Order: sequence, then structure tokens, then C-alpha cells
Amino acid sequence: MKNITYSVLAVLGIWISTTGCQTKDVTPDSFRNDLLKKTTGPAVVGDRIEFAYALGTTEGDLQNVKAEATIAGAKGTGFSGYSWYTNRNTGVDQPVQTATDTVTNGTVSSAKIIDVATNKAVTLRYYYYPGEDAKGKDVSFRFSGTSSTGKEVSYQSPTYRISRMDMKRSLALVDGAKAYVSIADMAVYTKAEVEQNNLANKIDFVYIYRATLGTGNYAFGHAIVAPSNADYLKDVTLPTGLTKSRTAIDKRVDVKDAQLRGTTGFDVYIDDLDLQQTTFPNAADYAYGFAADQGAFVKTADGAYAAYVYVNSVNNGSKSMTISIKRLKLN
Amino acid sequence: MKSIAVYKFFGILALIGLLSCGKEPIDESGLLITGRNQCFMTFFDLLGSDHRTVLVSGQTVIDTTALTVTAVARFGTNIQRVKPYCSVVTDAIVEPTMGIWTDYTQPQKYTVVSGNRQVRKTYTVTVTLQK
Repeated sequence: MKNITYSVLAVLGIWISTTGCQTKDVTPDSFRNDLLKKTTGPAVVGDRIEFAYALGTTEGDLQNVKAEATIAGAKGTGFSGYSWYTNRNTGVDQPVQTATDTVTNGTVSSAKIIDVATNKAVTLRYYYYPGEDAKGKDVSFRFSGTSSTGKEVSYQSPTYRISRMDMKRSLALVDGAKAYVSIADMAVYTKAEVEQNNLANKIDFVYIYRATLGTGNYAFGHAIVAPSNADYLKDVTLPTGLTKSRTAIDKRVDVKDAQLRGTTGFDVYIDDLDLQQTTFPNAADYAYGFAADQGAFVKTADGAYAAYVYVNSVNNGSKSMTISIKRLKLN
Repeated sequence: MKSIAVYKFFGILALIGLLSCGKEPIDESGLLITGRNQCFMTFFDLLGSDHRTVLVSGQTVIDTTALTVTAVARFGTNIQRVKPYCSVVTDAIVEPTMGIWTDYTQPQKYTVVSGNRQVRKTYTVTVTLQK
């Protein structure tokens, strides 16, 4: 019995040692595709999600590409007709046209590959701009490509949640002029506009610039102040009937949101969760001393909105500040 | 003669072994209770909501005799929401824990406890605001 077991084991060992390490002779598919999501931040209305869809063939020519979203995108959604390569002399990415007839119709975007004799493998950019109706919903994409041999390849993306946040970039504030900011409207008004349009109960904070303040002439600078704060607004002639709402304002210096900043290189993003979960215990009704890239979490007095106000730039000479806002409706 | 030396050697070795196995006592936070009885604060600071100091440089005074800390916060500081932290002598601890958002409109009390947990000194921290 023992001898039989040894014999079986020996045969098994020889078989495994001779066949186990053999590599299978796999013939690669002649037509393949792949997908990369380039955007790392949240999908916010007003911004876009960027994909790089690559396909290549060793048989025949590439013909068409197609992307089908589960929710139709807003204006701008579709393929770009350009691929990119890095110029080895300059290190700068250069576009080269590889597709034409880039069309988006409803949920479906398509493009036709050009110069098919040489473009045997291309990577096209697909941009998806979430629309208002997609807020809070999940969206996914099915990319596909066809070749002249009649073959088709496809790639199903994962599901992505579209943010419920609203985003507004580059609101120009000027001390004593365009200084009254409404989070509900995501807009800035003058005193006259507030009075004429009956916006006195919609102003969440006022922008002021004072180089110094206090008896000791202490540095103060660029500030946002809730209407409830009489100390810092005592020299400001406020719009008639302005509601003295106490907006909670919590300053930050290290939250450089890449989407509000509008530039790459900062992979920090305010997401829905940040605005949902930010608490404001004993928060001030003002923030001062702002410099570019700083900001403040803000919660409106009625608790309806939480927002992050990002400072894009400040100008002491013109007493002005440019801000961008991400806002989430809480109730 | 040789056997006595061997016995001595192993005896010392056993003693070292026994001593090295002795457990150092720890407190309820898992911190080592040591033999040090020094008990004082060496540094104090307050951070604003942006996690930057709000104190005016050079204005913080720690009196280890009177057990007081006085500091001046910059004009405009929201003194109701600041986060304190401090340094203490080696092995000492502070009660209650610092590093949480605290309202400093009124003086706050913190007790420094020595490394041997036998000496306790309560400091009163008073922060005034530039007007």
C-alpha cells in the first residue's frame, strides 16, 4: 500500500514538474481596448470628468468609437478629436488630431478615427459634464470601438456618484461695492442690488478690506463678516433692512480645493461628505486675514446650506478678493 | 575554585534575568509611571480654527511658582474656539487632556501630574485678547 502511494506521488511530482511551469501559448486579441479615468476629484456640476479611452488593432483599421452614459451629460460632453503625445524635446504634451465627427446625441457620444492607415492604436479623451438632473445619481459609461474587420470591443466603467454640490467659480468681491454674498444664490451683489431686488434676507456675509483695525492698529486685511457682527461692520453702510443673520464661518488655510482653485497639481477636494459632516461648534461669524489659497467653511444661519468659500486671489490695492464656492444643500 | 566562579556567574545572570522581567507600572492611559517627581509646564500655545497659533509672540508667561499661564491672543481671534497644547517636564502628564476645541473667554485650569503621579500642580491659564 505504502509503495503504491509513493509511486503515485512520484508520478504526480514528475508530471507537475514538467507541466506546471509551462507557459500557455496565448494569442493576444487582435483588437483590444482599455479605459482610464483621469479625473480624481468628485464629479461636480460645472466641472467635467475626463476619461482616456484607448483601443488598438493588429487586423484591419480602427473605425469608430462610442461612449454611452447612463445619464445624458450637459453641454460639452463627448469625445475630443485629439490624442496627446509628449514632446521629448520640451516635455510638453502636444495634441494630434486622430478623430473627427465627434458627436453627442443624448446619452451617446461617438467619433470616427481618421488616418486609419497609421492610427492603428489611439487614445481618445472623453469628457462628461454632469447635468443638474444627474445630481446625487450614479452614472456609468460603456465605451466601445469597431474595426474594419467587423469586430467590436467594449469596456464597461464602474459607477460614479455625481455630487449634490453646486460650484461657482471666480466671484469678484470689492470692498464697498460688490460685497454682499448670498450662498443661496451663489452670487455677489452691491448694496443697491440688494435693496432693489429685495435680497436683504438672503445675504450671508459681507466682504470688507481693512489693512488694520482696533485701537492698536492690528493687521486685519481681507475678511468676510456675517451681517450679525456689528463690530467689524460698524463703519459699513449696510443695505436697508439687511437681516442680521449669524452665518457660521470657520477659517482654513490648508484646504486648497483643486476644483475651486481651477488648476491641477493640488489633489485636495471638498466632497459632499465634507460639507455634510463639518460641524461649527462655537464658530465665529467672521474670518479675516485672508490670503490666496485660504478659505472658510460656512454654514448659513438658517442651516439650509454648508459651503466652502475658497479665496482665489486678493488685492490690497483695489481692496478686492476673488472667491469660488462649493455649496451643499443640507435641508 | 572554578565551580564557585561558575556558580557566581550564573547567580548574577539569574538576578539580572529576574530584574529585567520586572514590569514597569503604567497608568490608566497606558503611560509609563516613572520615578520622576518634577512637575511643571514649559510651553503653552493656542491654535485657531485654521490650526495656526493665535498667540502674540513673546507675550506668553508661564509662572511655575504662582502656577499661572498668561497669554495674549491676536486681535480678531475667536477666543471661544481655540485649541490649547503645551509641553511639560519629562514623563509628566496634563489633566484634562488638551488638544480639543475650548472656550477661553474664562480662565481654564489644567493639572500637571509628575512622572511618578505623586505630585499634582494645577495651572490657571488666562488668555486676553488684543482690543
